[in-house]
Amino acid sequence: MSDIPDQLTLKVNRDREGKRDVVARRIGVGVLIVVLALGLLNLFGQRPSTMTEDAEAATLEVYAPERVRGGLFYQARFTIEARREVREATLVLDPGWVEGITINTLAPGPVGEASRNGDLSFELGRIPAGDKHVFFLQLQVNPTNVGHRSQGVQLYDGDELLATIDRSITVFP
Amino acid sequence: MDIVLRAVVLFLFVWFVTRAVGRRELSTLEPFDLILLVVLGDLIQQGVTQNDFSVTGAILAGGTMALMTVLFSFLAFRFPKRIGPVLEGDPVILVERGRTIDRNLRRNRITLEELAAQARINAQIAHLDQIEWAVLETSGQISFIPSRS
Repeated sequence: MSDIPDQLTLKVNRDREGKRDVVARRIGVGVLIVVLALGLLNLFGQRPSTMTEDAEAATLEVYAPERVRGGLFYQARFTIEARREVREATLVLDPGWVEGITINTLAPGPVGEASRNGDLSFELGRIPAGDKHVFFLQLQVNPTNVGHRSQGVQLYDGDELLATIDRSITVFP
Repeated sequence: MDIVLRAVVLFLFVWFVTRAVGRRELSTLEPFDLILLVVLGDLIQQGVTQNDFSVTGAILAGGTMALMTVLFSFLAFRFPKRIGPVLEGDPVILVERGRTIDRNLRRNRITLEELAAQARINAQIAHLDQIEWAVLETSGQISFIPSRS
């Protein structure tokens, strides 16, 4: 019969007295499960959501994720359904749409692009009554861009404001 | 700066995962485990460096990981009773004088078949009652001390 190996004690290494390692491990696994479940529930992005504003002159719909992660590619889709003729349809986006976010491409190419009081302005041209105009932005989040910012969208006919959608985006690291 | 923070966060995450998953799962390098470790390493690397392909970035990330390893090792060495068990765990006795400690086997998800296999592979012991002590070490390996008789 040999004695217990050096540096081991029956209390600690056999009976595990005062040790909570199994409980701690179960809590750790529980935390992992919760984080993964939150991921499945879209807490960390990037499932798109739809926001719609029904105005008298037109309906504006934005389909884009509200939560994304650094480096991800994603798409924003803007749909305008004109109830009456919109002569100079202009989409105005908050700077949060491109702050730390790269625009890979936009389609169809707008008639003109400009800055409107610091916001991004895309002139889409004429939309006849009853017609639909769909505008796509293909975007990628810059990896160092983390935080929460406004991504409001406004639809104008020239200088006349037709519809507004207030939304925001959260970028996870 | 952010690459250092990402490296620290992911170092802590890897430590957390290895402690949560349990030492046995990570010490057995079956083909599946090996592939899983490589995949995990690749996923972690992307999170640390992201789109940074620079030598500076690699030095910062690698240096941070190395420094964190030294820090953990130092803390475990400096405070062996208080911090060592938290960072690295304790050895756990699985067999005492030929008698298995079922509670400890169950807690570490080790079956009698696996214990017997490890005894054959590592210590050329054919029967569990020929084991004086079997200890699950902090590395995840099981050490065997055979009976003298």
